[in-house]
Amino acid sequence: MRQRSLIAITAALAAGALTLTACGSRDSGDKSSSGSGGTTVTIGVDAPLTGDLSALGLGIKNSADLAVKTANKDKTVSGVTFKLVAKDDQAQASSGQQNASAFVADKSVLGVVGPLNSSVAQSMQKVFDAAKLVEVSPANTSPDLTQGTNWQTKKVRPYKSYFRTATTDAIQGPFAAEYIYNTAKKKKVFVIDDKKTYGAGLAATFTQEFKKLGGTVVGTQHINPDTKDFSSVATQVKNSGAEAVYYGGEYPQAGPLSKQIKAAGANIPLAGGDGIFDPTFIKLAGAKSTGDLATSVGAPVESLPSAKKFVEDYKAGGYSEEYGAYGGYSYDSTWAIIQAVKSVVDANNGKLPSDARAKVTAAMQNVSFDGVTGKVSFDEFGDATNKQLTVYAVKNGAWAAVKSGTFTG
Amino acid sequence: MSGVGPVEPGEGTRARDLAEDGSPPLPRPRGRFGQWYDRHRRGALAAAAATVLLAAGGSVYLTRPHAPAPAPPPAAPYPSQVTDVTYVEPVATPKGVRPRSFSFAVALSVESGPPVTVRSISQPYPGISLTSEPLAPFTARAGGARNVVITMHVTDCRKAPESAGLPFLDVTLRNTRAIEAHSYILGQRYARNLSTALQGICKHRSR
Repeated sequence: MRQRSLIAITAALAAGALTLTACGSRDSGDKSSSGSGGTTVTIGVDAPLTGDLSALGLGIKNSADLAVKTANKDKTVSGVTFKLVAKDDQAQASSGQQNASAFVADKSVLGVVGPLNSSVAQSMQKVFDAAKLVEVSPANTSPDLTQGTNWQTKKVRPYKSYFRTATTDAIQGPFAAEYIYNTAKKKKVFVIDDKKTYGAGLAATFTQEFKKLGGTVVGTQHINPDTKDFSSVATQVKNSGAEAVYYGGEYPQAGPLSKQIKAAGANIPLAGGDGIFDPTFIKLAGAKSTGDLATSVGAPVESLPSAKKFVEDYKAGGYSEEYGAYGGYSYDSTWAIIQAVKSVVDANNGKLPSDARAKVTAAMQNVSFDGVTGKVSFDEFGDATNKQLTVYAVKNGAWAAVKSGTFTG
Repeated sequence: MSGVGPVEPGEGTRARDLAEDGSPPLPRPRGRFGQWYDRHRRGALAAAAATVLLAAGGSVYLTRPHAPAPAPPPAAPYPSQVTDVTYVEPVATPKGVRPRSFSFAVALSVESGPPVTVRSISQPYPGISLTSEPLAPFTARAGGARNVVITMHVTDCRKAPESAGLPFLDVTLRNTRAIEAHSYILGQRYARNLSTALQGICKHRSR
């Protein structure tokens, strides 16, 4: 009897242990990803990858790369593998146009993210539009790119293939003017620009609103962006009695300009747009840049729950450069192209049609998704429907958000 | 014996030593447990086996690779990211309001998340004061829009702007996540109507 009991117990123990062991290993199976197949779709990126503005350009490229990798990993578009090809425009319109032609010539390209500079965008729009190749800029803010040169009196969309996720200077300039006049209580400004499409346009929208509010523009000046000696204009600012400087341009010039204005004895804030909203500005402007201001597109990343995953994934992606001011917008621009491709493929029995470029461009108009920067969709001009702006100030050697606004008109 | 072998047992130390008369030893006196065990040996063994089985099972269970704990529920969104304020139209100024006032309606909606309390509504221009109906603080829930009538009173035409291209309202919002001051830029229609109202009230301004 004892022997029979022992055998029974041993058998029960062994069976139980084996059963539990099997349960324990249930979830440890290797989930290897299967290879992706089907069609390869190229998404182009055009941005300044070298030169003064490369900090912003590389953030755009990396963020687009993250979107492509995410889409491939998650098989967002069944049967389609996305590939990223990035080209360097060096912030030059001529380079941008050459890149646009190269993208058009590559039949696998179904959409392009970029560029950074509005002046570069002007040289690319026509090339893309002729080929019905969709372009989504994460950073261009010049209103005429979407609303025509007479946008202040009559809005006319010049190119149906051009979209952007960033908001425009039609809002950015006035928002800065409102902040400087009403909140910072600066009633006299000196306005400077770099004569480029973006800088001159932004300075103009700022000036118009500042004057409307009752402010006085005590001086205006243009600078040559190819130089870094602004001592002459700094002296003019000092002698003008201005309480603030508004600069339409980008950080490679804005940083030294701010430094030289302070060195000339005018301890007043320099304010600018998204073109100066970069840590490099603070490095170039030095310790006296505390109090300088910048508006930038979108809400601060930390206030966007949707951006949290992007920030984590970007960090995990091991990119050596910061995603910068336009990272979230670049991810969303890329994702908008991916979504447009998806809708075209879904509507064509899972395959790309022969006129895929035209169809993707048409589909972009109806793209709508919750992106890194909030709801992503486009209005009848190709502008982002989500129009948020934030004023940042330099505090303790870094940009800190001081006011956010949403355009709901 | 030499060496280090086991020490041999002495008399009376072996369990089954015979009695002096050679008869087999009497059964050892049994305690209550021993007697119970004699009666329920099979049951006791089964219970012991079950205990061992449970212990083994528990050990395996505790040492198995665990699935990650379920993610905590997502934090409530920041109030400014789910609250929308849009311009509706000019409305009649409520009765009893001071002269040199004008009113307009805005629609305030909360897209999702917990209720949002509007702590205050203000506007940035000097020379103008503002009240609202309902009076802040008031709460808006997700899913619906509520009309808010804004009444502006011009206190000093010399300070009020003649026109504004992109005027906004400053709204302080609060939900379970945060308290935020946010500007709502109400667009061109609001800008035009505001300018018209200001110019009408301050016809004879001197700046």
